[in-house]
Amino acid sequence: MSLKWYILTRILLAIPMFFILLLLIFVVLRILPGDPVLSMLGGKAPMSVIEAKRHELGYDRPLLNQFGDYLLGVLKGDLGRSALTKRPIADEIADKLPATIELTIFGFIIALVIGIFWGAEATKRHGGILDVTGRVYAIFIYSIPVFWLGMLFQWLFGVKLKWLPIAGRISPLIKPEKITGMYIFDALFTWNLPALKDASLHIILPSVALGLIISSVFLRMVRGNMVLMLSQDFVKAARARGIKENSVIYRHALKNAFVPIMTVMGLQFAALMAGAVLTETTFSWPGIGSYLIEKIRYRDFPAIQGTIAVYAIIVVAISIIVDIMNALVDPRVRY
Amino acid sequence: MRKALFLFLILTLALFVFARDYITIGTTDKIRILDPADCYDYFSSNILQNTMAGLVDYEVGGTEIIPWLAESWNISDDGLVYTFHLRKDAHFMNGHPIDANALKFSFDRVIKLNGDPAFLLSDVIAETRVVDDYTFEVTLQYPFSAFIAVLGYTVAYPVDPAVTPADDFFYDVPIASGPYYIADWERDVQLVLKANPEYFGPKPKTETIVIRFYQNASTLRLALESGEIDVAYRTLDPRDLLILKTDPRYVVYEGQSPAIRELVFNVKMPPYNKVNVRKAIAYAVDRSYIVDDVFAGTVEPLYTLVPIGMWSHLDVMPERNLEKARELLRAEGYSESNPLEIELWYTPSHYGSTEADVVQVLKEAIEETGLVKVDIKYAEWATYIDYFINGYIGAFLLGWYPDYLDPDDYLWPFLSKSGAASMGAFYENALIETMMIQSRAESDVAIRTEINEDVQRVLAIDVPYVPLWQGKQYCVTYPYVKGVVLEPSQIFRYYLLYTEE
Repeated sequence: MSLKWYILTRILLAIPMFFILLLLIFVVLRILPGDPVLSMLGGKAPMSVIEAKRHELGYDRPLLNQFGDYLLGVLKGDLGRSALTKRPIADEIADKLPATIELTIFGFIIALVIGIFWGAEATKRHGGILDVTGRVYAIFIYSIPVFWLGMLFQWLFGVKLKWLPIAGRISPLIKPEKITGMYIFDALFTWNLPALKDASLHIILPSVALGLIISSVFLRMVRGNMVLMLSQDFVKAARARGIKENSVIYRHALKNAFVPIMTVMGLQFAALMAGAVLTETTFSWPGIGSYLIEKIRYRDFPAIQGTIAVYAIIVVAISIIVDIMNALVDPRVRY
Repeated sequence: MRKALFLFLILTLALFVFARDYITIGTTDKIRILDPADCYDYFSSNILQNTMAGLVDYEVGGTEIIPWLAESWNISDDGLVYTFHLRKDAHFMNGHPIDANALKFSFDRVIKLNGDPAFLLSDVIAETRVVDDYTFEVTLQYPFSAFIAVLGYTVAYPVDPAVTPADDFFYDVPIASGPYYIADWERDVQLVLKANPEYFGPKPKTETIVIRFYQNASTLRLALESGEIDVAYRTLDPRDLLILKTDPRYVVYEGQSPAIRELVFNVKMPPYNKVNVRKAIAYAVDRSYIVDDVFAGTVEPLYTLVPIGMWSHLDVMPERNLEKARELLRAEGYSESNPLEIELWYTPSHYGSTEADVVQVLKEAIEETGLVKVDIKYAEWATYIDYFINGYIGAFLLGWYPDYLDPDDYLWPFLSKSGAASMGAFYENALIETMMIQSRAESDVAIRTEINEDVQRVLAIDVPYVPLWQGKQYCVTYPYVKGVVLEPSQIFRYYLLYTEE
């Protein structure tokens, strides 16, 4: 199969996957107990008001019609209006998404740096100090809930040492001009130094907490694959040719160990966006994770559906990109 | 190069020591919508109360209604027609006058758009009329003495007709008419208020107020301790409050709150359709246990629906008496070998993390009779409402937060047929309903008090609800923050706040 065809089939296969997901979330939301209108009005309004509201939001219409409208809307890029705030959901998500992406990027970088370097260094001396501590670290950090680690960081670096802000994305009154919605990049682009400094300080704790948790997965993955690679003939050959050990590890072994690692990285990036939910609530990070939690609490059907649809698009897109990258790196994947 | 480095150092240092000329308030609450026609939650209302003006207001620190946009008003003898004489110096921040036209437009708009709080006006108002530029008249469908109190709520705040859509809600910020205007709002992140130069009332003592939104109580406490906020308002964990109270670095303000909590019975569902069962449980509950053990004394026990501190309040529910409870249960045929088995429902997050402890304490208190087995059940808030409003559950915990400060708002929504149905109690009593309608029509407070007290006595006889406790409100600040007044009306007035080193 040529690369072009591979990419095309991969994208075509993603479409039914996406619609099945939309149908699932639509049905699940309606099977679960909990009336969106009642939770919105809090049981205080008279019955007549509740009925009127239900009608206004279209919840008294047949399910099939509701789903049809929803699908049509999604196809047109219209996710509807939030039942709670009545603002267009696409606008609300567009407000929140940059915060989550920003946090995910920095968390991901931290996880990558720790995971890859520690993983690679650990395999250099199998059973050495870095290897043993790395294994202990990976198990230990993987078993820690991110909110617990987050609160520990907040208490230590925010309250006790007063080095870092504990919540939010930036201090009030110094927001940079909006370009991407990601404050650090916006501050860089507009060369707004106070905002850059402030936003950078704010992102340290949440991204480190998030990055550390994910780094353990990378570390184990890199280490496992590297150990496998180092026993291969080409590594022996490289060593026999007298190539420096660092070069053997990073240029030969790591590069070849990368296909499975890249797949995991892609999946982890998607998982990071989800893991960001807990990190976001802990650090009051106003991203899409906090948004989703808030909307679930109020049974805001359109907003939950919209957010999940966006999540689905991101996860599907990332998995396509990862597959394509794998196919580029290793042509055997295409067949 | 050295010079540049030096300058850089100075600038960085300046950033750190830069003095704040604003007060930062932290909260775990959210803003839903800032359109008075649809705003029906505590914090959104509180922002409107600081940025807009209404016909009437509550006096600072009290529950008495005082003039605001209305300088005075007359009520016709039949209690149906309210005529408001407006002050002539009131403007929106854009310079447009707040006149009778604005009021008529706003009242009609609320009723037409039928938002969440609209029933507060639409259930009672028959007609609105502009008499002249500064005279506004409202005709009611029936005499309703609590109407003036209703006008103190944000639903009755006028909006600028020139810029407000007549047939849709607005989702950004209103044109200010109160002490502050909203200079910046990033949803769930921060809100920046600045003093409104056009406001006719007292000037705010602090030019800028910043509100920061946190996701949970523990982050709010950490934010206070790290100095990120100067004031923590709504809602810290009771245990955190206890710790902060003993810490000299902070000042903990405590005020009365009109929020009450109660146990509700679905009186149509067995075994709660038997009054003896409901009464027995009322005798068995132990309020002091809840107040002291769960809330560490941060709430008050409550023996009626009308809160402590409000006129007409009368303690009617019995003190704990296990013997009486056993007697009533035996009369219904229950015994040690044939105990009454009940399900007690609660919702875990809506009323805070203490709710699970409350229900456990209640279970133990009721089971102490030896004649009842209590099975604890729970459901998330959205599901919970679904269950009680459809009558699926028989004994459950609920809370009430008033829309207007009048005993009527603690009696009518609970004991009228329609009100009781929306609480999941399904209680009906024609006599009590007639009494309440009488009280609503009466403008003499002494007579209304008498009627309201009688209504509460019937509550103790029929026991569709067991009132349990009344909340207190708390605000924690650093000592340099002054001017905090925790009002019985729950209006937190930012314009009174100032700092003093």
